[in-house]
Amino acid sequence: MTQATPDAIRLDSVSKSFRLDDGNSVTALEGIDLGLREGEFVAVLGPSGCGKSTVLRLIAGLESASTGEVRIEGRAPSQLAAAHRLGVAFQDHALLPWLSVAQNIALPYRVAGTKVDNARVDALIELVGLTGFRDARPSQLSGGMRQRASIARALVLDPDVLLLDEPFGALDAVTRRHMNVELQRIWSTRTLTTLLVTHSVDEAIFLADRIIVMTGRPGRILREVTVPFPRPRDPSVLRTPEFHAMVDELTLALEPEEAAL
Amino acid sequence: MTLRARLHRYGPPVLGVLLFCLAWQLIGAYRLAGMTWPPLTAVLAYLADPAHHQLLGRAAGTTFAAVALGYLTGTGIGLGLALLTRLVRPARAGIDRLVALVHATPAIALAPVFMILMSRETIPVAISALAVTYLIYVAATSGLEATKAAHADLFRTLGARPLTAFWRLELPSALPALASGLKLAVPVSFMGAIVGEWFGASRGLGLLMISAMQNFQIPLLWAAVLLTTLTSLILYGLLGLFEAAVHRRFR
Ligand SMILES: Nc1ncnc2c1ncn2[C@@H]1O[C@H](COP(=O)(O)OP(=O)(O)OP(=O)(O)O)[C@@H](O)[C@H]1O
Ligand SMILES: [Mg+2]
Repeated sequence: MTQATPDAIRLDSVSKSFRLDDGNSVTALEGIDLGLREGEFVAVLGPSGCGKSTVLRLIAGLESASTGEVRIEGRAPSQLAAAHRLGVAFQDHALLPWLSVAQNIALPYRVAGTKVDNARVDALIELVGLTGFRDARPSQLSGGMRQRASIARALVLDPDVLLLDEPFGALDAVTRRHMNVELQRIWSTRTLTTLLVTHSVDEAIFLADRIIVMTGRPGRILREVTVPFPRPRDPSVLRTPEFHAMVDELTLALEPEEAAL
Repeated sequence: MTLRARLHRYGPPVLGVLLFCLAWQLIGAYRLAGMTWPPLTAVLAYLADPAHHQLLGRAAGTTFAAVALGYLTGTGIGLGLALLTRLVRPARAGIDRLVALVHATPAIALAPVFMILMSRETIPVAISALAVTYLIYVAATSGLEATKAAHADLFRTLGARPLTAFWRLELPSALPALASGLKLAVPVSFMGAIVGEWFGASRGLGLLMISAMQNFQIPLLWAAVLLTTLTSLILYGLLGLFEAAVHRRFR
């Protein structure tokens, strides 16, 4: 790791516990140290409930750390949001039901109080494969289409930090691959610090510079792996033996109990 | 919608209304409930007779004006109070308690106070407005709390200012509950106005009901009741359509 550029996003010995209604508290994260360099693409893998979304929400400024510190460019995460420089695609899409697809994707412009760039909205609609659905309401879309609309919305303001929480979870394999390739293309044209939470080892390796493997109860970082494949990555990289070896290694890391056998 | 689906949806209510009318007619025609229950056709004939139009029309005009004024005033005050609790959150508990207290006091018990405070003609409006205020306040405050957590999170990550979040998120999220409140407030506003007329109003359907009862003008009594009920039901139905449209779009 070169320390020449300071980290764009830093989590320093962060822990997070939630107080439950019955008075007890649950520790979701413990001792998280994580840095993302400017323009770096980091993927987070881990079993369900290990705290991946919580890491993302801390960086988004939606939760505050119980101990430790979360900084973006040395400042509080909320400042990035206030400057309209943050793009988030949530696990449950969070589209507004009373707006059409195009209006949902244009919402960040309206919230930021800037003029809507209709050409860009249309270009993103095409990019995520929703041409012909620009005037449809979210209730008329499938789960995967809603996710794609929410990715377009996260990208529309051309953010500096992009947080994606299992954005391709509801997509079929072919659409998912297509979205992966498109995301890599966008990502290669500009400096975009990205955190991607995913359950797909393939996707993580194909897209990321670095992969964080987490374990649960409490959530910790188990491993960090740097992805060696040069960019731009062609989908053919997915068929190389090196790729398969890495998939096997990470899949094993995700099942520590079996690995110990 | 297919014919079958239509039948399924509208069949039972239409059948219910027909049965109700039939029962009314039979009970009246055979004097099953005594002299004070006229057949439905007699009441309709009374309503249709042009000789009664001036009397009923003037009374209905007065009452419906009071209903409209009470409904609008109550809606305005209810919305205003709900907005106040949203803008000044610490005021919430106090306003909640005040509104609940006023609502818990029966309008009948407040009537004497109204009678010394205001003219007899404004009492129907006041009682109607009071009842509507409560309903709209409850609907609007619960509506303003109906914003989904996921949507609120989205607006925070978009860096929305409070006013922006209010216009683009909280208000649209509140509309379904508010539309339900506007529908439910219709019969309440009629009830308030009719009851309000019993405290010395000089004109109106409520007053007509009382005087017809005391003078044993049975068809007139029922005509006034039918006119009030039908108007209330029709408005309730229209606002029900509005409510359904809002729910379809905003939920
Ligand atoms: N608001 C909350 N209140 C209480 N507990 C919470 C809250 N949010 C998260 N948790 C707990 O924190 C832990 C981590 O949750 P998180 O949503 O980050 O998991 P995840 O890794 O994203 O899981 P998944 O892959 O299923 O989305 C879980 O045990 C969860 O119950
Ligand atoms: Mg999650």
